[in-house]
Amino acid sequence: MAEVEETIKRIQSQKGVQGIIIVNAEGIPIKSTLDNSSTVQYAGNVHQLLMKARGMVRDIDPQNDLTFLRVRSKKNEIMIAPDKDYFLIVVQNPTE
Amino acid sequence: PYSVNLACSLPPVPCVTPPAAPSRTLQWDTDPSVLQLQADSELGRRTHRLGPSKITQVDFLPREVVSYCKETQTPLAAHQSEDEEEEEEVTEQKAGPENDLQEEEESKDTKEGHPRELTEEEKQQVLHSEEFLIFFDRSIRVMERALAEDSNIFFDYSGRDLEEKEGDLQGGSSLSLNRLFYDEHWSKHRVITCLDWSPQLYHPLLCSLSLSHLSPVSTLLSSYFQYPELLVASYNNNEDAPHEPDGVALVWNMKFKKTTPEYIYHCQSPVVSVGFARFHPNLLVGGTYSGQIVLWDNRSHRRTPVQRTPLSAAAHTHPVYCVNVVGTQNANNLITVSTDGRMCSWNLDMLSQPQESMELVYNKSKPVAVTGMAFPTGDVNNYIVGSEEGTVYTASRHGSKAGICEMFEGHQGPVTGISCHSAVGPVDFSHLFVTSSFDWTVKLWSTKQNKPLYSFEDNADYVYDVMWSPVHPSLFAAVDGMGRLDLWNLNNDTEVPTASVTIEGAPALNRVRWAAGGKEVAVGDSEGRVWIYDVGELAVPHSEDWAHFGHTLMEIRANHGDGEEEGPVELAT
Repeated sequence: MAEVEETIKRIQSQKGVQGIIIVNAEGIPIKSTLDNSSTVQYAGNVHQLLMKARGMVRDIDPQNDLTFLRVRSKKNEIMIAPDKDYFLIVVQNPTE
Repeated sequence: PYSVNLACSLPPVPCVTPPAAPSRTLQWDTDPSVLQLQADSELGRRTHRLGPSKITQVDFLPREVVSYCKETQTPLAAHQSEDEEEEEEVTEQKAGPENDLQEEEESKDTKEGHPRELTEEEKQQVLHSEEFLIFFDRSIRVMERALAEDSNIFFDYSGRDLEEKEGDLQGGSSLSLNRLFYDEHWSKHRVITCLDWSPQLYHPLLCSLSLSHLSPVSTLLSSYFQYPELLVASYNNNEDAPHEPDGVALVWNMKFKKTTPEYIYHCQSPVVSVGFARFHPNLLVGGTYSGQIVLWDNRSHRRTPVQRTPLSAAAHTHPVYCVNVVGTQNANNLITVSTDGRMCSWNLDMLSQPQESMELVYNKSKPVAVTGMAFPTGDVNNYIVGSEEGTVYTASRHGSKAGICEMFEGHQGPVTGISCHSAVGPVDFSHLFVTSSFDWTVKLWSTKQNKPLYSFEDNADYVYDVMWSPVHPSLFAAVDGMGRLDLWNLNNDTEVPTASVTIEGAPALNRVRWAAGGKEVAVGDSEGRVWIYDVGELAVPHSEDWAHFGHTLMEIRANHGDGEEEGPVELAT
């Protein structure tokens, strides 16, 4: 468990990383390095987006599945690694 | 008339167990008239000598009324919680700690609506669960790679100043630094004891493993065997951190830019040799200082060994500097040799005892203190060992001459590295091998004669390791204690290295290993750092190099023959 903490700290300290959020399959945040309101906002929105993206991938090809999602915006990039039970969200500013 | 005091026992009447209710001491449910009757009877007529009697007083605690105390604390959350949600939340929390995470998940699945908060307890439970740890391990790996590849796709060349391109050119030499692998936590203050590149796959058919039931990420990572970009390094103990494990093995990945190890493994005793287990795609074999052989498996997310050999006299009790898996896909063994001269052959499926073991003894005298071992290409029976005394021996595993065969004298200090010629080409040079030693030299030998063919004496410190290029017939690399990495191309020059570089900081370099493609060299130093150098044009073999090397050898033999007083003894192969 300490390793999870350590790993999150290490990633958080990398250049440009703004926040790390771990969310369960329902969209409920389990761990986060951001403040509560941002966490909830990200978690909720990402969850919806993820469902939509996954649905789209499956719709186009039912044999396919979503493996990674990157949303690039003007100010930052949100990277989402989804899984069956959880997903990992990392927000970074790549140009920093 | 005697007042019958119930507290005072009438002698002939036996004591009866008192009832639950503390108010009565005798269980007399007697009608007062009966008592009177008795009083008038024999009993009553006699003179009673009344005396104090012992009262048994028993205290019965009031019966426990089991009452359920429900503690519910509404979490301080900023967002809404509907009525129905609240109710369910309450029941959920009551059952929370007792239920399986699975069940919780299932019940949550049935609910819809706005996300609610989990209690700290639930979160902790999730964070400790097995499936979470597996998810986390996989996803973080992918995420780190994505973070490291920070190519800015929006970069505008017209609008901004271009950063100066950092060149890695080192003068005119063909050696240029590619990567440095170092981990703050696991590499610091540890000496690199061994390096091994993942074996290159020769049969592309084996690449298409059908692992469709696993998620794509785990398919990618489940086998070392197909990915020649992986390198394992073993580390000694960290004297500054006695509470950390003494033995560490890290698997590094050349392909991605992330600077953290791909896999981290450790064990209780310093790891002095390590290697990818050929024919066993997911296993890593380590030889330790204590004599134990350990096996790590990348399918289990444990960092500790999944199997280890017993510490018994049947196995090894001395440091095992040589671990090698030899054979074929269907019939392979792990060969290990420890510094007390003991050689064991193991079956990787069963490490509880060796399949066979033998003492390596020369001429029936004392055992050889083995520091290194190498198998010539394609040979699974005969091998070469180097010893602490500086002598090199050939040996065989089976047959009438099992054990040490011939002795090769030449070095004046312990042998630190042995490498058998491995580049396959039109001419067979598999009888050649090179050795490095504390005596500041690297020597070239042939298994056909017991004196060195040539001695390379360009170093000014202990030479710690040497290795032939896997693709170029006349090229080998050597490293020494002054931080020098030398590339010798014998077709070019036999007096001095063709290319040489001193590693930054000039640490003692302990190990050198060519990558399977022969284009990169990995060097491990005494500070826990692995340096990957690109070898340029120098590393590329041409078909005439083999014939050229044949000539070079003849020249070497001719020159050597002139200088020697007594010629080398030709050995029967």
